[in-house]
Amino acid sequence: MITRCGFCAHEFTEEEAHKTCSKCAQFGGCKMVMCPRCGYEMPQTPKLIQMIRQWRLRRVEAAQ
Amino acid sequence: MSTLAPQRSQPLKYDPSVERAVESVSSRLTGDYRLTRRSVALLLLQDDPEIRELVQETEGPNFALVNDAVHTSSQGFAEPLDSVISLQRRDAVRAITESAVRHSEHSRVRFNERLSRLCTSPITGLPILALVLWFGLYQFVGIFGGGTLVGLLENDLFGGIINPWVTKVVQALLPWPWLSDLFVGEYGMWTLGVTYAIALIFPIVGTFFLAFSILEDSGYFPRLAMLIDRLFKTIGLNGKAVIPIVLGFGCDTMATIVTRILETRRERIIATFLLSLAIPCSAQIGIMVALLAGHPAAFWTWAGIMAGIFLVIGYLTSKLLPGEPARFAMELPPLRWPSLTNIAAKTYARMQWYLMEVFPLFVLASVVIWIGRLTGLFGIVIEALKPVANILGFHGPLATGMSEVFLFGFFRRDYGAAGLDKMHGEHALTGNHTLVAVVTLTIFLPCVAQFLMMKKERGMKMALAMAGFIFPFAIFVGWALNLTLTTLNIKL
Repeated sequence: MITRCGFCAHEFTEEEAHKTCSKCAQFGGCKMVMCPRCGYEMPQTPKLIQMIRQWRLRRVEAAQ
Repeated sequence: MSTLAPQRSQPLKYDPSVERAVESVSSRLTGDYRLTRRSVALLLLQDDPEIRELVQETEGPNFALVNDAVHTSSQGFAEPLDSVISLQRRDAVRAITESAVRHSEHSRVRFNERLSRLCTSPITGLPILALVLWFGLYQFVGIFGGGTLVGLLENDLFGGIINPWVTKVVQALLPWPWLSDLFVGEYGMWTLGVTYAIALIFPIVGTFFLAFSILEDSGYFPRLAMLIDRLFKTIGLNGKAVIPIVLGFGCDTMATIVTRILETRRERIIATFLLSLAIPCSAQIGIMVALLAGHPAAFWTWAGIMAGIFLVIGYLTSKLLPGEPARFAMELPPLRWPSLTNIAAKTYARMQWYLMEVFPLFVLASVVIWIGRLTGLFGIVIEALKPVANILGFHGPLATGMSEVFLFGFFRRDYGAAGLDKMHGEHALTGNHTLVAVVTLTIFLPCVAQFLMMKKERGMKMALAMAGFIFPFAIFVGWALNLTLTTLNIKL
C-alpha cells in the first residue's frame, strides 16, 4: 500500500517506512509509519479505510 | 517563459574540499558498478544505505578501506556531507536555471504559487500563522470542539442522561459504596475514565486532528518550516525541527522519537527539551484552549508566555551546548486544495490511535486513585501538594482541587488538564486562576511515557536533568505570573 508523506509529499510503501522506525514505548506500539525521506510520522492507514478504498477500486474496475 | 537548449553537459564540480573527499573514496573503489565510481563515492558520502550495502557486497574485504575513507573524509566537515552536497547542488541548479530560463514580462504567477510565497515570507507568513492559530485552534478547537461539542456530550448526554442511569444500575448491583466507587464514584472508571475519554477528550482531539489534517494535506507544514528556519537558528535548531515540534502538538512522546531525524546530537537534545517543556500535546492543548475560550486576553497571554519560554529557554540551551545548527534545504511540494477523503482518513486514523492510547490509561488511573483513596494515600499526597497550590494563589477548596490536578498532571498532562476542566465547572475559576493553572500545567512534563522515551533517546542522566528542571520551573513561572497579576491588579 502506497503512503504519501504529509510533509514532503514523498510516496513510499509501508515496508520502506518500517526500515527507519523501530519499536517505541507507546502503549501497544505507536502504530505510526515514518517517511524514509524526511522522517515525518503518520498513523498507519486503518483497516476500515483500506477496505473502503479497495471496495471503491473494485467497483471502478468492474465498471470498466 | 521560454527555455534555451543546453550547449553541452558538464559534470557538476563541487568545492575543493568535497572534490577531495570524492577523490579519496572513488580511488579506493575496485568493483564494477552500473554507475561511475564518482557517483558511487558521492552516494557513499551521503550515507545512502542501499549503495552502502551494494558496495559492501561488491568490494568484499576491500570495503573496510573504502569505509575508512568515507569516515575520515566526513570528519573534515562541520555539517553532514549529505546536507553540504545538497546545498551545493541546489546552488548549481539555481545558476543553470537563471542562465537558461527567461521569464516573459507577461507570465502570470498562479494563485497557489502566490499563496505559497506569502506563507514563506516573514512579513506575510507570520500574520498567516496567527490567523491559522486563531481560527484553527482557538475558534474551531477551543470554542467549537471544547465548548459546543463538549457541552453537548459531557453535560447534556453523559452528565444528564447516561451517567445518572449507569450510577443507579451499578449502585443497585453493588450496594457496597467502597466497591461501587471504583466504577461510579467521583473518580470511578465510568464517571471519570470513560467520561473523560469519550465526552471530553474525544470531541477536542477530533476537532484538533481535523484541523491538523487539513493543514497537513494542504502542504502548509513545509512552508512553516521554511518560514521559521531563521527563527529556529537562534535557538540552535533549523527548519527541519518543525517536523518533531509540529508532531509534538499531536503527541510529545512520539515526537521525541522523531528528533532522531535531526542532524546533530546538540539539536536532538534541544528539541527533546523544548518538546517536554513548552509543547502541549493534542488533548492537552484542546482542553487548555477550551478553558481559556471565554477569556481571549488569557488565551493570548498563555500563547505569548509559552512562545517566550520556548524561545528564551531554547536560546539559553543553545548557548550552553556548543555548536552550530546544520543548514536546512528542502524541496517544497506544491500547495494544494486538501482532499476530503484524505482528511477523513487521516483524522479517523489519528483519533483511533489516540483513543487506543489514552483509554486504557484513563481507566487505569481511576483504579490507582481508587486504591489510593481506600488506603488513605491519596489524601496524604493531596495534603502534601497543597502548599504548592497556595504558592500559585489557590486557597481553601481551590487548593485541594488544584493539588488533585497536579497529582494527575504528574502522570499525564492531559489527564491533569481534564481534572482542571472538572474543577473549572465546579468552582467557576476566575480568569486569573485559570491562566495560572493552565500555564503551570502546560510546562509540566507531558507524561510518564514521555519520560521513558527521553531516557531511551537521550539517556538517564539527561532525562533526569530535564525533569529536574521542568517541575520546579513550572511552579516558578506559575508563582511569578500570579504575583504579576496580583501586583498589577490585572483581572482577566
